[in-house]
Amino acid sequence: MSNNFLEIKNVSFRVGGKTKVKNVSFNIKNKGDIICLLGPSGVGKTTILRTIAGLEKIKSGSIKLKDKILSSAKNHIEPENRNISLSFQENSLFPHYTVEKNIHLGAEAKKINVKKKVSPKKIIKLLNIEKILSKYPHQISAGEAQRAALARSLVTQPDLLLLDEPLSNVDQSFKEEIQVQLKKLLNNLKITTIVVTHDSYEAFYLGSKCGVILNDQLKQYDDPYNVYHFPNSIEVVNFLNRGILIPAKVTGENSLENEDLGTIKGNFIKHYPKGSAVKLLLQPEDLEHDDKSNLKLEVVDRKFRGTNFIYTLKTATNHLIPVLVHSHHIHQHQVDEKFGIKRPIHIDHIVCF
Amino acid sequence: MKFNFWYLSSLTVSIIVIVPILTVFTSFFEDTSNYFKILQQTFFHEYIFNSLTLLIGVIFFTFILGVGSAYIVSFYKFPGANFFKWGLILSFAVPPYIYAYSLFAFFENYGTAFTILKYLFGDGNYNKQIPKFDGMFGLILSISFSLYVYVYILARSSFLYQSQNLIELGKNLGFSKFKSFYSIILPAARPAIVAGLSLVAMETLAEFGAVDFFSVNTLTTGIYNSWIAFDDLAFANRISFFLLLFIFILFLTENLSRKKAKYHSELKGGFKKKEKIKLYGGKSFFAFMFCFILFSLSFLFPLSQMLYWTIKFPENLIDLQIIDLLLNTLYLVSLSSLVLIFFALISNYGNRVSNKKILNILSTLSISGYAIPGVILAIAFITFIAWFDENMIKALGFLSIKKIFIGSILGLVLVYFIRFYSLAFNGIKSGYEKMNIAVDESAYLLGYSKTKTFFNIHIPYLRNSLLFVIILVSLEIIRELPITLILRPFNFETFATTAYISASEDLLEAAAVPSLCLIIIASFFILLTSKYILRDRDE
Repeated sequence: MSNNFLEIKNVSFRVGGKTKVKNVSFNIKNKGDIICLLGPSGVGKTTILRTIAGLEKIKSGSIKLKDKILSSAKNHIEPENRNISLSFQENSLFPHYTVEKNIHLGAEAKKINVKKKVSPKKIIKLLNIEKILSKYPHQISAGEAQRAALARSLVTQPDLLLLDEPLSNVDQSFKEEIQVQLKKLLNNLKITTIVVTHDSYEAFYLGSKCGVILNDQLKQYDDPYNVYHFPNSIEVVNFLNRGILIPAKVTGENSLENEDLGTIKGNFIKHYPKGSAVKLLLQPEDLEHDDKSNLKLEVVDRKFRGTNFIYTLKTATNHLIPVLVHSHHIHQHQVDEKFGIKRPIHIDHIVCF
Repeated sequence: MKFNFWYLSSLTVSIIVIVPILTVFTSFFEDTSNYFKILQQTFFHEYIFNSLTLLIGVIFFTFILGVGSAYIVSFYKFPGANFFKWGLILSFAVPPYIYAYSLFAFFENYGTAFTILKYLFGDGNYNKQIPKFDGMFGLILSISFSLYVYVYILARSSFLYQSQNLIELGKNLGFSKFKSFYSIILPAARPAIVAGLSLVAMETLAEFGAVDFFSVNTLTTGIYNSWIAFDDLAFANRISFFLLLFIFILFLTENLSRKKAKYHSELKGGFKKKEKIKLYGGKSFFAFMFCFILFSLSFLFPLSQMLYWTIKFPENLIDLQIIDLLLNTLYLVSLSSLVLIFFALISNYGNRVSNKKILNILSTLSISGYAIPGVILAIAFITFIAWFDENMIKALGFLSIKKIFIGSILGLVLVYFIRFYSLAFNGIKSGYEKMNIAVDESAYLLGYSKTKTFFNIHIPYLRNSLLFVIILVSLEIIRELPITLILRPFNFETFATTAYISASEDLLEAAAVPSLCLIIIASFFILLTSKYILRDRDE
């Protein structure tokens, strides 16, 4: 007997006879934990949710919830008997019922005394759907439909809540607010949740753990901080689009040397023997701007990101390096101008491959 | 393959539908009486020539009437446009054979036209001046005025789904209105129009009542006559084989066109509601007159003719057992609707939950019955039952089953089932298609079992589709003639058969009352369905 709330062991997730994600294992340790699965479109994130919900069967491995086998090669508990709720990305509201009836049907179906923990009213208010309660699904926007479906899932208070891109159709202005409220509510209700998203910031905010699915595999399953700062493979680096990989040579316990940038110091997260040729992950926030520095690189592009600029600098060996600068910085550099990099370069966590 | 309830039900329906088709094909290779040789040298070519002439004539007229009226009511605002939008579909309540009776009766010697002229201008020999609409031309007009509705409905819906963007594109390119219509609007609606014309063509080849009334020898009447007059079922089936070849080509054309016709209605974004152009003066008058004349000729004319005779010869009203006819018709309609709905629901639900290719193939087979003319179906059914009875039942020592299926309500309902299953199946299917599969999955995840999902989610959602199917099936059965005529029990009459029998005995006046009743009931059903048939994106 394991102590995990949800345990997925060696499962290959399939849909329509085709394997989407191979040999996946991960756990959710405690009731009420929120985890996020991150990956590009079409990689199989939704298939994972559908399989956990019981809408797809598995041929190997096992899925256990509270130590009870839900799916294995031999067993398959039907979706209606799992007490798992899945909020679909597309509109899944019952088209012939109003939004209000849709929400209440959830509670009625499972005969839940919803007053015990949280009232539907509170959920409706939180998701800001009071005004659309009397409307039919075809009369509301995609974002509103998504929130209504989310409300329907939440009122059932399932053992496990699965959210498939829950906020993909929600306006950006409203998204951050709803993320905060959603996280608070899920924590209050102690509803164990798996969120699938392609938005890394959403995943890092909502999840206590984060899984990255790439090329048919769960590449990394770790704390959001670790996924962000210590990606375990080049694929994860590329997917998160966090920086570039430049060639370097390990020169000591805490240092390495790059042809263009010179000596770089910091803490290696993995040991490499002195003299090893490695690829160093250089992220935008790793380098600092300094006009007085004698290390100057040419600006080839500048992107305004609201709170900051991302400069793209070209090195002598034609590598393009991203550098982040706060946008209140008064020295704005134009394309073709020279941009100074502070030396000596120090990076807190040195990630190499 | 897991053999479950869904396979079994879909397989049963497919077998029921496929049996008459197979019967026709196997009969093709059987010996027939000498009549076949005589006919081959004499009438057979005439059958084919007449069928083709009729087909070309009807397609020409229905194209002009259907596309013309659909274009006018979809793109322009003029007095009466809202009325004509649904008024023009009323002509569907008048089957071609009733139109044929009216047309003939109005223009015949000393007919209604003669009476009107005499009333207006006094005594005179007007018979020579009154044109005669009988034979092939009368037949083409009768079928065209009744069937142009297919083209009208499909073309109109295609025109309505054309976005304003498309119209504006034409303007932007500097096209005249005519060039916009010819180069942009018409090509975009072409699949829908072809689908409509294919349906018209299939119905034309299947038409029996009007063809028989005007004594035009076509493949359909050939089939009926070889069975009735020469008692040669095998030869009837041989002609059926040729007719089915024609129909098969049309069936394929219609299916392919329908698939293509979807392309402009499935665009997710970018649809811009069309602004109808308001017409003034002469143009407005022309649009009104076009629709008014079409409405008058296709609906008011046969209705008035039948009403006139009913009033002129009230004794027919008393002689006729209207209540009995009504009850018989309702009995057939309700029984058939129930059976059709039951199987169509099971089959659709099976397809939805199983989502297996084999079920889809079986469903496609089961809906092919609508393409087979009623005469062929009825005769092939008799052929099959006779063969089955002789070779299987009697051979095994059981009592004959012929009486159970031939000349019985059971046999009649069974053949209606084959003929109209596609209406029921497609009606429910289109309802289901609007419901995302995620809806079912959400229900399961909310704790609903499959059965509970079916009764609590599907049935309430499909309520309107089911109602629509019932009305549509009723409408078809009320108008249906050859199957009822051939397979009905002894002394069991409907409005359609009574009208046909009176007309075939040259008692056209007596055919008026059942025809009028049929038109009124069918119109009522059409008005009930008009909401669905004319469903607009801009309404």
